Amino acid sequence: MATPLLTVDAISAGYLGRDVLRELSLEIADGALVAIIGPNGHGKTTLLRAISGLLPLHGGRVALGGADIHRRRPDEIVAAGIVHVPQGDMLFPEMTVLENLQMGAYLPAAAAKMGERLDEVFALLPKLAERRGQVASTLSGGERRMVGVGRGLMTGGRLLMLDEPSLGLAPIVIDQIYDVIVRLKASGRTILLVEESVARVVDKADRIHLLDNGRFVWQGAGGELMSRPEILATYLGG
Amino acid sequence: MSEVIVQIVASGLTIGAMYAVSTIGLSLVYGSLGMLNMAHGAILTFGGYIAYYIATTLGLPPLLGGLAAVAVGALLGLAVYIVAAQPLLRSRSFETSIFIATIGVGTVLENVMLKLFGAYPLPQPLAVGGDLEIGGVHIPYQNILILAISLLLMAAVALLLKRTRIGRAVRATAQNREAAQLMGVRVGTVYALVLALSGALAAISGIMISSLTTLSPTMGADPMLKAFIICVVAGLGNIYGAVVSALLLGLLEAIAQYVVGVRFGFATLLVLVIVVLIWRPYGLFGHRQVVRL
Repeated sequence: MATPLLTVDAISAGYLGRDVLRELSLEIADGALVAIIGPNGHGKTTLLRAISGLLPLHGGRVALGGADIHRRRPDEIVAAGIVHVPQGDMLFPEMTVLENLQMGAYLPAAAAKMGERLDEVFALLPKLAERRGQVASTLSGGERRMVGVGRGLMTGGRLLMLDEPSLGLAPIVIDQIYDVIVRLKASGRTILLVEESVARVVDKADRIHLLDNGRFVWQGAGGELMSRPEILATYLGG
Repeated sequence: MSEVIVQIVASGLTIGAMYAVSTIGLSLVYGSLGMLNMAHGAILTFGGYIAYYIATTLGLPPLLGGLAAVAVGALLGLAVYIVAAQPLLRSRSFETSIFIATIGVGTVLENVMLKLFGAYPLPQPLAVGGDLEIGGVHIPYQNILILAISLLLMAAVALLLKRTRIGRAVRATAQNREAAQLMGVRVGTVYALVLALSGALAAISGIMISSLTTLSPTMGADPMLKAFIICVVAGLGNIYGAVVSALLLGLLEAIAQYVVGVRFGFATLLVLVIVVLIWRPYGLFGHRQVVRL
């Protein structure tokens, strides 16, 4: 088997000395869409923060394409090719849509390809082209989410990590966002997706990991999970 | 009467512009790091003394003194980052710890100046003589120079923030630190740069302020307090608001000094702060949420 794009090997991480993640391991193959599901407060966001270096590990290792990245600073991890689209977007509120996207191309390697990537992002998310001059804090929730995704794509990383892209959005907008995710996968991107709801990812993800209390309690293909009602009932309340 | 108005406006704008230069540094630092730099006044004073030392003690060209002051101010700002801000960044009570730590840095700097230059007031050599007569009013060239330099510096800072790559990184860090990190911004570098820039601006404002009064080791306390007042009135961390507020407060101080007397100038400012804080607790130019660069 080829080296996975991302290897997470027995990592522990948490806040104030308490581990939220306990010796968690995960592998993501190149081009795969992997979904992490589970109830809130069980470490999904913590996992993404640990991978992108915002949260220091208490143990374990993370490698991208076989090279260790877990002792590096967040800016170095971005440069290595990990894109983290954080929960709640975290846009730069006083900047315009275009300025937000330009910040995505902050690093020299990304800046060199800024024009090309901007065209790609606008083709994928045409709404952003319309709104390019608008200040981010005045956008609707769905538009903000798109800026967050677009800004992440501008960095040009190899692994796209999305933290609850459906959070706080109306169902119709969620469908639009998932359309974009499916198209990104079709274009060959590797995606790690965190989601609270099974239904949204079950037919789209190549693999699903169920995170409960800092550990993976189940993993497998989406269809498999739907045939295991007892697991759904135990961990996700039906 | 019109002479009086011209006089008040001229002196108010000069005072305001001078305040603005020291305030934008303070506001930039608050906006990006969320810290109140209590060593700001001491750095400002240090800048004034370095200019004095180069130009008067060493007898070198005054302009060189100005450049040296800027360099030393930037280095002192950087030193505040290295000895105080960086070690405390991960502390849970950063805002309080850094407040106290920078008081310490300021006290050390004040005592260094006391040891090096003594307690007696010294004249600032970086000043031009003569004045300009407009409609029977004499405005010193020094005031005009201060106003011009201040406006230039403010324009330069605005351009830096708006148009340069590092300026965008500073704004991004101020608006959302973690998001900036996720774009590849090395926030430590941004913090160091902002403190250095703030130190350099403080040094220039120290030269300007001492050129209108005199140099003494504690002269920075008053402009720093006023810079804080301006920051609060504008909304902490809002640098464009800070510039406008500085000019307004400069004018107000000049008017108050003329109308109710010099000793009431500062008291008037304090009353204004109280009124502003009751009426708009988030500052004149702040939104209800915290406004950043």
